Amino acid sequence: MVGISLVLALPFFAPAAFPEVVQATQKVNYTKEIKPLLAQKCVSCHGEERPRGGLRLDTAANGLKGGKSGSAIVAKKAADSPLIIAIHGEGSIARMPLKRPPLKPEEIALLTRWIEEGALAPRDEVPTRLNQTHWAFLPPVRPPVPSLPTKGVHPIDAFIVDRLHKEGFSPSPGADKATLIRRVKLDLVGLPPTPAEVANFLEDNQPDAYERLVNGFLASPHFGERWARPWLDAARYADSNGYSIDAPRSIWSYRDWVIKSLNRDQPYDQFLVEQLAGDMLANATMDQKVATGFHRNTQINQEGGIDQEQFRIDSVYDRVATTSTVVLGLTIGCAQCHDHKYDPVSQREYFRLFAFLNNVDEPTLEFASDKDFAAREKVRDEIIDYHKKLNAKHPEIVTQMKDWESILSPVFKVDQPPEIKDSFDRAVDKRTENQIRLLTELFLKDSKDPNYIAHLKALNAKRKREPKFDTTLVVTEREKPRTTYIHINGDFTRKGEEVSPGVPAVLPRLTARNPMKPDRLDFAKWLVDPANPLTARVAVNRLWQSYFGRGLVETENDFGTQGTPPSHPELLDWLATELVAKQWSLKALHREIVLSSTYKQASQTRDDLDRVDSGNRLLGRQSRIRLEAELIRDNALAVSGLLTPTIGGPSVFPHQPPGVMELGQMKRPWKVSTGPDRFRRGLYTFFWRATPFPAMLAFDAPNSFQTCTKRNRSNTPIQALTLLNDASFLECAQALSQRAEKEGGTTDLARIDFLFKATLGRKATPTENQTLVELLRAERNDSQTGLTHREKDAWLAIARVLLNTDEFITRE
Amino acid sequence: MNQTNLQCPLLNRTRRHFFHECGVGIGSMALSALANPNSAKAERQSKAFTQPAAPPRGHFPAKAKSVIYLFMAGGPSQLELFDYKPELQKMSGKPIPDSFTAGKRFAFMDTFSKEKPKLLGTQRKFKQHGKSGAFVSELLPEFAKIVDEVAILKTVATDVFNHAPAKLFANTGSQQFGRPSMGSWVTYGLGSESHNLPGFVVLQSGPRGPRGGAVNWGSGFLPTAYQGVPLRSAGEPILNLANPKTISKAQQQRAVDAVAVLNHQRMVATGDQEIATRVAAYEMAFRMQTSAPDLIDFSSESAQTLALYGVEPGKPSFANQCLLARRMVERGVRFVQLYHSEWDHHGGPGISLNKDLEVTCRDIDRPMTALIYDLKARGLLDETLVVWGGEFGRTPMGEIRENTGRNHHIDTSTMWMAGGGIKPGIVHGKTDEFGFGPIEDRVHMHDIQATILNQLGLEHTRLTYRFQGRDFRLTDVEGQVISKILA
Repeated sequence: MVGISLVLALPFFAPAAFPEVVQATQKVNYTKEIKPLLAQKCVSCHGEERPRGGLRLDTAANGLKGGKSGSAIVAKKAADSPLIIAIHGEGSIARMPLKRPPLKPEEIALLTRWIEEGALAPRDEVPTRLNQTHWAFLPPVRPPVPSLPTKGVHPIDAFIVDRLHKEGFSPSPGADKATLIRRVKLDLVGLPPTPAEVANFLEDNQPDAYERLVNGFLASPHFGERWARPWLDAARYADSNGYSIDAPRSIWSYRDWVIKSLNRDQPYDQFLVEQLAGDMLANATMDQKVATGFHRNTQINQEGGIDQEQFRIDSVYDRVATTSTVVLGLTIGCAQCHDHKYDPVSQREYFRLFAFLNNVDEPTLEFASDKDFAAREKVRDEIIDYHKKLNAKHPEIVTQMKDWESILSPVFKVDQPPEIKDSFDRAVDKRTENQIRLLTELFLKDSKDPNYIAHLKALNAKRKREPKFDTTLVVTEREKPRTTYIHINGDFTRKGEEVSPGVPAVLPRLTARNPMKPDRLDFAKWLVDPANPLTARVAVNRLWQSYFGRGLVETENDFGTQGTPPSHPELLDWLATELVAKQWSLKALHREIVLSSTYKQASQTRDDLDRVDSGNRLLGRQSRIRLEAELIRDNALAVSGLLTPTIGGPSVFPHQPPGVMELGQMKRPWKVSTGPDRFRRGLYTFFWRATPFPAMLAFDAPNSFQTCTKRNRSNTPIQALTLLNDASFLECAQALSQRAEKEGGTTDLARIDFLFKATLGRKATPTENQTLVELLRAERNDSQTGLTHREKDAWLAIARVLLNTDEFITRE
Repeated sequence: MNQTNLQCPLLNRTRRHFFHECGVGIGSMALSALANPNSAKAERQSKAFTQPAAPPRGHFPAKAKSVIYLFMAGGPSQLELFDYKPELQKMSGKPIPDSFTAGKRFAFMDTFSKEKPKLLGTQRKFKQHGKSGAFVSELLPEFAKIVDEVAILKTVATDVFNHAPAKLFANTGSQQFGRPSMGSWVTYGLGSESHNLPGFVVLQSGPRGPRGGAVNWGSGFLPTAYQGVPLRSAGEPILNLANPKTISKAQQQRAVDAVAVLNHQRMVATGDQEIATRVAAYEMAFRMQTSAPDLIDFSSESAQTLALYGVEPGKPSFANQCLLARRMVERGVRFVQLYHSEWDHHGGPGISLNKDLEVTCRDIDRPMTALIYDLKARGLLDETLVVWGGEFGRTPMGEIRENTGRNHHIDTSTMWMAGGGIKPGIVHGKTDEFGFGPIEDRVHMHDIQATILNQLGLEHTRLTYRFQGRDFRLTDVEGQVISKILA
């Protein structure tokens, strides 16, 4: 890693825990330790441009020289140095950095030591230009893999173990096989292993048993379902338009595209290019167009009286923010209103990025073959024909409609379907033929005239025959580009200077197909150019986060100067360069991670390690991670045998408690799906932005208003109530208990064993067995339970208990 | 180490008994894994796992036991309600002098850019009330009667002018997502005195929930047991509160007990303290199943009380929420936060300073006044701190949309506090002739936070939590207790 010292890379260690790190015997290295610290904490105000108090801290010499009130640094006299006094916040000087978090004690100690040692620095020191030397802006360089005494160590393990050894620890032993198979199946396909899968794995003593298991799960069509979800979080996917109206939308084809792409291991670079600019690829396929739905997952405001341009611009703001967060791991959105305070992105540069994304139309794409379209044309022609005849027969309709329209209430108009609503909003001569026909039909219906109603019925019959096709939301590039301006303070009405598309100077240059007119496709290709220092790092870091609960860069959405430095910078760069070397294959990366011993470690806590590394950043063990909301549902359905494994299709409406839909401004329907759709995986649940599915929300599913690259993992009484009382989970418990009665053998212990293995993938311990046996006895002795239901109820109780254990909803 | 504990026969004992006799292992587990078992902080952090709602001690004796925070979502206009400015009336329609606005930023700059912002005098009539002589407008006739019970703060400034970040700022002391909210800090610092209701409850009324949503009552990096629990105003107060129809109370109890035992066993095996939080969550969930329906059942309230608040049984309203808030503090809930919308009176449809403001004021005037009366009558006002305010104030300049309105304003807003050791019948702070900014006794949102903690017996600079190598606190690096308003 460049420019960051060991101490800075380890901000999470209290100095007391590692005195040997802080009190190193070597002299402080100015270039490696002090300069980056001053750059991060001081130079934004004390740099070359308009230095506060005339003081510059961009070189050591400038600090010694000082500003208006004299030297800031007095060599060998830390206690007399205003810099040290200021960062302590003592004396008459305001505590520095002003209005920002204070320096950490170890940072203050480091600066103090450096001054005491003489404030030494290279003579030819180059002044720090704000943040240009930040590690994340420099391309990853493939680091050498640390050599360990043991041969044949997985490269990931070499980095992790090397570091553990340096801190005086060794890794944990591997998890037991039952834990491991459940862990890896939950991680790769999001479903629990069946008892048969567990048994086979336990018996398989071949050295490659685990690897074969992994290969099988990676090839599973359910892999894409499990891994689509974090990407859909990032894409802020939802099935409704958001804002106050929150009308439904159809964009599930985009969701299915993500699943398919991940299943076929589409290289990550192509995966991104198609989502950002699939429509602009030569001979774009239907799939590539569908992929552009990525940036149609913005909200749409359908309130009356709004300025559409305002919300169009808001959606482009969201696209810039989402792209930079998800792909670049940068908070570029901060530069919407002013130059970025901490990262080298100016407002002008922000709007140059904006310009790439500012040039789209937002149509709805229909899925059908040419033949289907032709069939529909035929019916449509019939309808047009009928209207012509109707007009000829009743020329008076035109005037009647005028009178009718003049007395319609605004509420009536607003309540119409979009196409009709739109025609009401237009001047009469600006209406399309189709709109006039639709309006005519509305008039016929409203007229209550039996003669007209008869015509309407005939028309309706034809309309019923009109084939309907599935649709999805996409973007297309406008032929005539919009002009982009800097919006002063991010205000859409205040246009400043005109800007052309371009990328921030701190990142590599963009090569456009036509250098005069760089466009969205050039931008997409620039993002995935291996020269880009961020894209691969950010991608691998997010995958790592899923497997270990925390990224190597903990601030997975901020690789900028205010983010957390990587805990294992070399490993991060090794993974990033590995991704590119493997042609951006995500599956290859998944495979690397789950095959590592680091991943396979036991998750049991360790007194020695946890005492100094409570966040488990050194990865001396695995972590228990609570399952994501959707996976909790999937697991309950899977173990109870209810799961419908169908992949893809329109979103579905599983049971939810009554009263949820009343919370939105517009009351939206929730007609519970019947048949197999009732038991689909969680990611197919229809997601209303205004009134999200409560069981998802309770377990921290994101709200889909903006991109989410890391979910919370809360632990609340509401979750307990959901698992205990929600009808969906009760239904699963019932089905599971019936399975136990049917498939679990005849003795109590056999059935308990069956249930334990089905839900938790392992055998019960004697004390666990005892607990359940006693519960079974108590249920049977319950005088309130009628004889006929006694057995059923007793086994239902056991099933409910197991579905409610912490372990059931946790990957261990 | 807990093998002997696990042998105890579970099922013929009550759950409380079980936890007392057998559950001690959880505490020693959690403690042994902590870095420094002797420090007070370690003890408190371990309490988070074992007794997330047990009352530890504050830093010094408390004036208030509970807080009821009436959060007026959207930013109420102080110039229509409390801050009477005859000069503004006189200058209405004239552009605001540059000296006020130079270098300032406002939300909805668009309306400003079209033409220079003009001052807007209020259409509301003001009168002085009570012994304190505090100005209150005609919009709050009931509240005007209790000005001698409250301290009105006229100079509350904040840092952020957009709704969601400003609400976060008021609630968490920071506009960044992921910081603990005030209610979480308080319950973390003090625990709850309620064993069967959450220590921190959130209520909502008005046309919509607060922007920013659940992050406003999130626990951030504090243990999740401290996050606020929303109580719904229609249907079941909490989704899935009732047992499934086919499950009896005894069955539910046995199930929850067995889950606790299995979870405990798993915690011993894995050492994962998060399991203790899960056990506590199930405990609380089970108790809530009885206590929450009891809480929302107003049948024990007299007709007089219902009338005092203006509660119409079965109809969700701010009045209901105020009565619920009183019932909650009676039951030991530590921090109750009521969000009422919509106060974002820009002048657009539904958000004008005319009819729409009147409606919102009518929503709250009687109920909040009743709350003070009622708390006082029951001897609860002394130990309950009631806080009223929004995320920011509104500008003295008008905004011309479809209707008259005012823009967001961070320089000043009016809040009031009552009970809980606050000096009654005072007006704190003064603003300039237009009500643009403070000229005397400026108060910042961080000061409000410091003061609320102070009344609860918590020193705001000492209520910290170490996260990512830094001790975080509610007031960030700012905040001073507003000593002039303390009794």
